[in-house]
Amino acid sequence: MIKQLTARFGRPMTLVVLLLLWFWLIVLVLLPQLIMIDYSFKPNLIPSQLGGPEDVYTLGNYQTLIGNDIHRTIFFKTIWSSILVTVLTLLVSYPVAYFLAQLATAKQVMLIALLLVIPYWINEILRTFSWYLILSFQGPLNALLLGLGFIDRPVRFLTGDGGVLIGMVYAYILFMVFPLYNAIESLDNNQVRAARNLGAGLIRIHWRIVIPHAKPGIATGCIMVFMLAAGSYAVPALLGSPGSRWFTQIIYNWFFEGGDWNMGAAYAFVLLILCIGFIAAVMKVFRIGLGDIGK
Amino acid sequence: MDSRVHLDNISMKFGDFTAVHPLDLDIQSGEFFSFLGPSGCGKTTLLNIVSGFLEPTTGSVNIGNEPMAAVPANKRPTSMIFQNLALFPLMSVAENIEFGLEVRGVSKAERRKVSDRLLELVDLPNSGQYRIDDLSGGQKQRVAIARALAVEPKVLLLDEPLSALDLKLRQHMRTELKEIQRRTEITFIYITHDQGEALTMSDRVAVMSAGRLQQVDSPIELYRKPKTAFVAEFVGENNRLPGKVVSIDGEQVVVDCGAAGQFRGQMGTRLEPGQPCGLYVRPESLQAATAEDVNRLDVSVETVNFEGAHLTLETRHAQLPTQIHVQADQRAYGGQVEQGSTLSLGFQADETVVLPEDRPLETADD
Repeated sequence: MIKQLTARFGRPMTLVVLLLLWFWLIVLVLLPQLIMIDYSFKPNLIPSQLGGPEDVYTLGNYQTLIGNDIHRTIFFKTIWSSILVTVLTLLVSYPVAYFLAQLATAKQVMLIALLLVIPYWINEILRTFSWYLILSFQGPLNALLLGLGFIDRPVRFLTGDGGVLIGMVYAYILFMVFPLYNAIESLDNNQVRAARNLGAGLIRIHWRIVIPHAKPGIATGCIMVFMLAAGSYAVPALLGSPGSRWFTQIIYNWFFEGGDWNMGAAYAFVLLILCIGFIAAVMKVFRIGLGDIGK
Repeated sequence: MDSRVHLDNISMKFGDFTAVHPLDLDIQSGEFFSFLGPSGCGKTTLLNIVSGFLEPTTGSVNIGNEPMAAVPANKRPTSMIFQNLALFPLMSVAENIEFGLEVRGVSKAERRKVSDRLLELVDLPNSGQYRIDDLSGGQKQRVAIARALAVEPKVLLLDEPLSALDLKLRQHMRTELKEIQRRTEITFIYITHDQGEALTMSDRVAVMSAGRLQQVDSPIELYRKPKTAFVAEFVGENNRLPGKVVSIDGEQVVVDCGAAGQFRGQMGTRLEPGQPCGLYVRPESLQAATAEDVNRLDVSVETVNFEGAHLTLETRHAQLPTQIHVQADQRAYGGQVEQGSTLSLGFQADETVVLPEDRPLETADD
């Protein structure tokens, strides 16, 4: 690869490109993570104690997480809710992606893709706030449902996890639709027609033909949405209630409210391990390799 | 089993474009029936209408005397072999063949029996466990046939299934398809733009052009007695001598081809004296002239192509606009003709067909 680069750009330019690449990888990606891990194994000390007898490596921060019932519960709840968000996003996105990839005309694809992307031109906080307004007790959604007679008194959408789930599915739908679209688009339409010709109904066609074909796309979408959901801060902070706190909020609190960076680093590291574990598990379940996800 | 296919006043429009003009057609039970025509002639549209993938603009499809209008594609007694085969790459050979039975809720043991029997039929015994990607082109072809037959269709629809194969395999598969059709007694509806395929395999062929049926006949009738100029020019090689009808004498027509002379031929369809027409004579019908020949043509040879059993001569008559192609037995001419030789050719009136002028031949784009 270096030979090709040298041939194309010359030696000095190649050197610059490689140096920038290594700078990015080491200084901006690897080093911060390593510093965070280092932090997480040290106690929170005031500056004068740094380098003193108490400045030793310890598992204390991690023991705090394990020993704290509330934090532990929120941790597992975050995992569970993120899985729920992932599944819901998949269910919502699959029909859209299938329509776009197999049924829609070029014009419809353009239009729908545009409609899907436009909200992303707006800041995530603002988008989440608009859901806060829509879902609020005296907001437009309740007014609509009351007006249509589906409910006889307003629903408290923002109590419990409902608001957070809706907000997250909305926030991450693109990260599911596009990998799915890519995967389903490459399916030869004759496969669907052949299955139909052999007698298969709608559900079987999807279960046996489309979904197996779209597996790498489904895995990519699920991994992205899960990681975004598990690492999300804005949505639970705005749409969540005290009863639906996210693990990221606790990490935030350690860093910025508690001023205990070491504790925050430990909590964040646990979340990172969880996400890597989730990716590994999904790859195993879907029997796909890293190469398939990159496609 | 009654597997007659009846098309009643079928037509298909896509917006302003008429893909198929209204037509009626009866395909017999157990017949090998082909639709032959250049791409864009509407043959694939017809196949999709029979299979239920397309709803015709007008008319109805009946299979075995049962109307199909209300029957969706996945409930019709038809089974299709796709141009690109459309095998399921993520399933094994056996799973592909058994898919239709799996849909119908047939037990696994029963399904395995059927797929084993069909793999036997298509000459691929004991290969159920293979992956589709491990098969050669010809083997994939056979799996596609087996998969289509597994659901015991009344009608098998074949959409140019041999076009992806190389020449040798294609010729072999023709014989094989015909043999499978004979053994299964299923009605085969075959779509192709390759006349060789249509003529060798079919009981009857429907020649289509621009969404219209040109002629429905047995291959030999199509070849010997084309009813339209399109069929005369599309099926097999033909020499066309433009002229005008002089007189009509029973089934025979006298045609005046200007300076080239007058010729006699069979009347292909109704003609009137004075009408512009084409006189069609096959390359192999042009022989060295004898004293009895009514039709005579003196030509000079421009090119000689030796092809083993026969020679193809590209010749020219000074008064005719196009070359005259002659296919001659190598024993008759071998080594005796060369560029510049003059030949006196004769041809029989009953091997010559006279047809009215047609719109120019629509060129196939594939």
